[in-house]
Amino acid sequence: MSALVAASDLAVSYGGGEPALAGVGFDLRPGERIAVLGPNGGGKTTLFRALLGELRPAAGTLRVAGRCASVPQTERSRLDFPVSALDVALMGTIPGRAWWRRPSRADRAAARAALARVDLADRAARTYGELSGGQRQRVLIARALVQDAEVLLLDEPFTGLDATSAARLEALLAELAGEGRGVLIATHDLEQARRWDRVLCVNGRQIAFGVPAATLTHDVLAATYGGAIVTLPPAHAGAPGPQEAILPPHHHHH
Amino acid sequence: MLEPFQLPFVQRALVELLLLAVLAGTLGCWIVLRGLAFAAHGAAAAAFPGLVLADGLGFAATLGGFGAALLFALAVGRLGARRDRDHGGGDGTLTALVLVAALATGIVLASDVFHSPASVESLLFGSLLAIGAGDVRLAAAAALVALAATWLLGTRWLATGFDPQAARALGVRSRVPDTLLLVLVALAAVAVLAAVGALLATALLVVPAATARLLSDRVGAWQLATVALAAAEGALGVWLAVELNAPPGATVAVVAGAVFALVALLPRAREAAA
Repeated sequence: MSALVAASDLAVSYGGGEPALAGVGFDLRPGERIAVLGPNGGGKTTLFRALLGELRPAAGTLRVAGRCASVPQTERSRLDFPVSALDVALMGTIPGRAWWRRPSRADRAAARAALARVDLADRAARTYGELSGGQRQRVLIARALVQDAEVLLLDEPFTGLDATSAARLEALLAELAGEGRGVLIATHDLEQARRWDRVLCVNGRQIAFGVPAATLTHDVLAATYGGAIVTLPPAHAGAPGPQEAILPPHHHHH
Repeated sequence: MLEPFQLPFVQRALVELLLLAVLAGTLGCWIVLRGLAFAAHGAAAAAFPGLVLADGLGFAATLGGFGAALLFALAVGRLGARRDRDHGGGDGTLTALVLVAALATGIVLASDVFHSPASVESLLFGSLLAIGAGDVRLAAAAALVALAATWLLGTRWLATGFDPQAARALGVRSRVPDTLLLVLVALAAVAVLAAVGALLATALLVVPAATARLLSDRVGAWQLATVALAAAEGALGVWLAVELNAPPGATVAVVAGAVFALVALLPRAREAAA
């Protein structure tokens, strides 16, 4: 099975300056979920922008075999915008059209089908900003599905979701991977990352890449997050040994 | 009570305002949604020296005004887009600078070109009760273009405004729709000059759309409401101006501002703005 994404010795910089991310080598296979771990400013967003073709590799190679679609954090979008969930999903049909063309009947049908796919058919007419965080995230996934993307890039999709919404989103991601899509998920949640297929740790450069059990060692995490690691004692008697966790990241948007 | 509306020059003012209401309802909503309100004000102000120059040099005033407004809109729009990309939102410093420069240049030029202050006043505040056939034609053309552009490009303008970064990733790479929006802003700024002048352009292009925005949560309904509101405000303003012998452009602007203030105090609007 050929990889959807293959990077080798990849470096990416903004405007020809010092690379914001270097030494990246990984592959994403169909049906795989890869967690992208790293501190804020560690290069996760830079990697996504390179995959989307917005930034060109400064060195190395990056091969993207399928169509990539990004699912940004929902706070990045305008919650006060006068759009319905269907309007947002319909934005996914834009890449397929010349700029002077309006959405066709088929485009609308595709947007509705994508909303149904993420279990939001009954919310199509709702105002986007009035949906819950988890529902908004799924609308943005629907927008990516409308583009028929084989590679989904999710930027901290679980931030701010309650347990039920998070479980629902996680199940959806498993289904999408089951359809043969490749899913890259930027996250700070180590527990989640351990459940997925592989992890990619970055902090200005690639720290490690591989299956979680072998990759998420204390040394790798220390190199990825610097000092922001705490070791938690077992939650209760009989629980598995000490667990590592990342201190809540300091959020700052660029 | 309605006898002012039987006067031919008042009727022509009404026709002009109805056409401009269509412009305000379609383009005005995009101006508000895309944060171009101040840029629209600046484009109208920039048209002022263009009009004066055209008059002095003896070519069509509309052309002079449109040229200057277009130059302004494209320059500010382009620089604004760069700033958005780098910093996520820009301030209006540049717009303010160019706006002042344009007004000052216009006034200095006008002192050479015109010998009556009345002509300068009508350029700055409009001459709604002295609308000519050419003004009506320009308003009709601008309204038609705005309607057609909304029909064709609305989904793209919406996607870019909704989240610009994702829009780029979605493949909204063509600059054409956003550049066309700026061209339309310049065209609209010139189209409203005859009615409300360079300084009150936003009374038609921004205030009705901003008012209706408080009460609508879909673009289509918002645009229809804005057309109706701008038309009603225009008719009320003209009627008041004739009855009170007040300057018509300014009266329309005052009515629009008062309606905005009233609507903003409604409970639902307060909730929407929160």
